[in-house]
Order: sequence, then structure tokens, then C-alpha cells
Amino acid sequence: MSCPKTEHLLQEYFADDLAPLTREEMENHLRFCDHCSAELEALMLAQSSLNHWQDQRVPHWDRGMELFRREHRVPSPGFSFWSKLQWVPSAASFAMLAILLLNVTVVSSDSGISISFGANKIESALLESRLFAFEQQQEADMDELVQRFEDRQDSNNIELLQAVIDQTQQTTAENLDLIYAFFEQQRLQDLEDMRLGYQELVDSDYATIRSLQQIAQFVSYQGDIR
Amino acid sequence: MNLTDEDEALIAAALNGSTYAWEKLVKRYESKIYNHGLRLMGNSTDAMDLMQEVFLGVYRNLHRFRGDAKFSSWIFRIAYNKAVDLGRRKRLFSSHTRVGEQEEMDVLESIPGGASFEPEKMVVDQEQNQRIIAMLGKLPIEQRLIVELKVFQAKTFQEIADVQDVSENTVKTRFYTALKKLKVASEENHVLS
Repeated sequence: MSCPKTEHLLQEYFADDLAPLTREEMENHLRFCDHCSAELEALMLAQSSLNHWQDQRVPHWDRGMELFRREHRVPSPGFSFWSKLQWVPSAASFAMLAILLLNVTVVSSDSGISISFGANKIESALLESRLFAFEQQQEADMDELVQRFEDRQDSNNIELLQAVIDQTQQTTAENLDLIYAFFEQQRLQDLEDMRLGYQELVDSDYATIRSLQQIAQFVSYQGDIR
Repeated sequence: MNLTDEDEALIAAALNGSTYAWEKLVKRYESKIYNHGLRLMGNSTDAMDLMQEVFLGVYRNLHRFRGDAKFSSWIFRIAYNKAVDLGRRKRLFSSHTRVGEQEEMDVLESIPGGASFEPEKMVVDQEQNQRIIAMLGKLPIEQRLIVELKVFQAKTFQEIADVQDVSENTVKTRFYTALKKLKVASEENHVLS
């Protein structure tokens, strides 16, 4: 059963700006007209079904930030020098973690550097033997160094002693020469003194003899007088 | 500070080159615009295209915003114009049944990652949204835009008439016609489900 008023009436109903009198009239009609009320209910249901919309999340996008930064000449945080290196601490942490977890061992030897993962007994035995060989090598090197040092010290000491002896010998010879010259001088002086002494003695003897002769002459003279 | 004042403060800061203000402004409206696009376009790809075009339009014309109207009204007017353009480009006027065709893909694409991820609720919400998109897909773009503005944006017929540059009566007639089509689509949905 259709109603000639339905189309116009419901259009007005949904126009939501009806005057109070018109609304009352409409509600009276709807109360008695099954067709119109059923149609209204269906339309209301269709409208209300739209209200079940649930807002969906926006997929990721850059929100025009790149354009905004470019046009306002704002430096992008991703382009500064330090930002470029932001991965470095993470990479270093990751590397350290990997080294710890994998028990990485780095061995440096004469044949180069070897990197091994994990630890085992064979490796520790190898390490011990290498350590022993290294100690032996160190000991041999040390001995050789000590020997070389001693040799050098000895030669230095010999040179020093030789120099001291030479110096001493030279000094002694000079001193002996001086002593010899001094003795010679003293001897010559003594000889001269002796010669002078003998001369004086001789002179004294002559004087004594002359005195005696004078005394004798006097005595003889006195005797003659008597 | 109310939302309108906050919007104006953010606009002023963004015009002075504040990236933070611009990002906050975008974040404030992106969900509304994206969901608006989903209902009008029927799939997330076109909704994203619409949203990006809307914000590009906002960015290019931000200095022209005088604060005579609310920013929300202004941005939805831009969204309306962009939707009409995009609809024209995609021939939505002639073959509007295309809306909702990419249903399966959209469900997968729009599942977000994050702390609030609830799979069951997500699936139910997605199904409801897809039913709504399918119903709206039965309408030509003019009617779909009127339903969008009237039901989802809660605009008055006068405001819709202003946005669409048509008479208020035309809007009312189109809205009623759209409701009748939605009723048919809704009944078909019930029969199918």
C-alpha cells in the first residue's frame, strides 16, 4: 500500500528545518500511515548505518615535511654531519655485542693476525705453547742484550783504565825527571858548597900555618933577644 | 586556548617557518581528511592521493587564510574541491561503481602497526567500513559529497549549499535521493549478508 504523501513528506522530514506546526502534522500522519512510517524507518536505518564508520589510521607519509623544509630552508635533521654519523654508536654497540656473544679471539703472531670464534682446549694449548716459545725468545733476546751490554761495558772499562795508566805513567815520568833534576841540582850545589868549605878550610889552614909561623918567628925572635 | 585559536597559532608559526607547527597542524587534521578521502574515493590509494593534494593545497594557500572562517571549514572546502577534481580525473562521475573495487587490498593495506593493534576489532571495523564504502559507492559523487558533509561532517544544508554553490533546496533533494539509494543499498547488503 503506497501513500501519495510519502515522497514530499519524508523529504521535508529529512530537511530538518520544519516549522513546529508542520512537524506536528507530519508526526500525526506517520502515526497512522504504515507505508510512510516504514519508509521513514528504512531511511533512518540507512542513515544510521553510516554512523558505524570507524576512523582508520593514516598510513605513514612525510606530512609534506620535506617540501616545507626545502622551501623554508630549514636544514633537514637527516642531512647534518652529525646526523649522518648517528648510526656509528649503534654499529659500535652491535659490533661489541657480536664480539662478546661469539667470543671472538684475535691472535697476533709473526705470521700475521688470526681471528677465531668461540674458545676451546686445543686453542688454549696452542696459546700456551706460543706463550712458552715467546717467553723463550724473550729470554734469549734478553741474554743476548745483556751480553752485548757487558762486552761494551768491558771495552769501555779497558779503555778507561788504559787512559788512566797512560796518564799516570806520563805523570810519574815527569815527576821522576823533576826529582832527578832536583837531585842533580842539589848535588851540584852540595859540591859547590863542599868546594867552598874545603877552600875555606884550606884557607883557614894556611892562616893557621901562617899564625903558627908568626908565633914561631915571634918565639924565635924572643929567644934571640934573650 | 580553544581549537580554533590553537589552529591560528599553529598557522602563524608555520608561516614563520616552524616545521614543528606545520607537522602538528597536519597531524591534527590528517586523520579526518584521510577518512573523508576513504569514504569518497573508496580505497586507501586514492584517499592518500587526496590527502596529499589537500595538504599541498593548504601549504600553498596558507598565507591566504585570513581566519574569517574556521580552519576546519577551510580545509574541508579545499578537500571538497580536490575530491571533485580527483573524481573527475578518475571518471568517478561516469562509473562510480568502481568505488570499493579494491576492497580486499585495502583491508590489508590499512592494518596499522603499533601498540593499539587489536586484530579482531580491526577486522570488524574494516568490514563495517567496507560496507559503508560499498553503500556510498552506489551514489554519484555529488550525492556522496552531500552525504559526507551532512552525515559525517554534520553540516547544515545551507553550509553544504554554500560549499557546492547550489541552492539549499537542491541540496535537500539530492540528500533525500541519496538516502533512498542508500536504503536500497543497505537492504541489498542485509540480503547478501
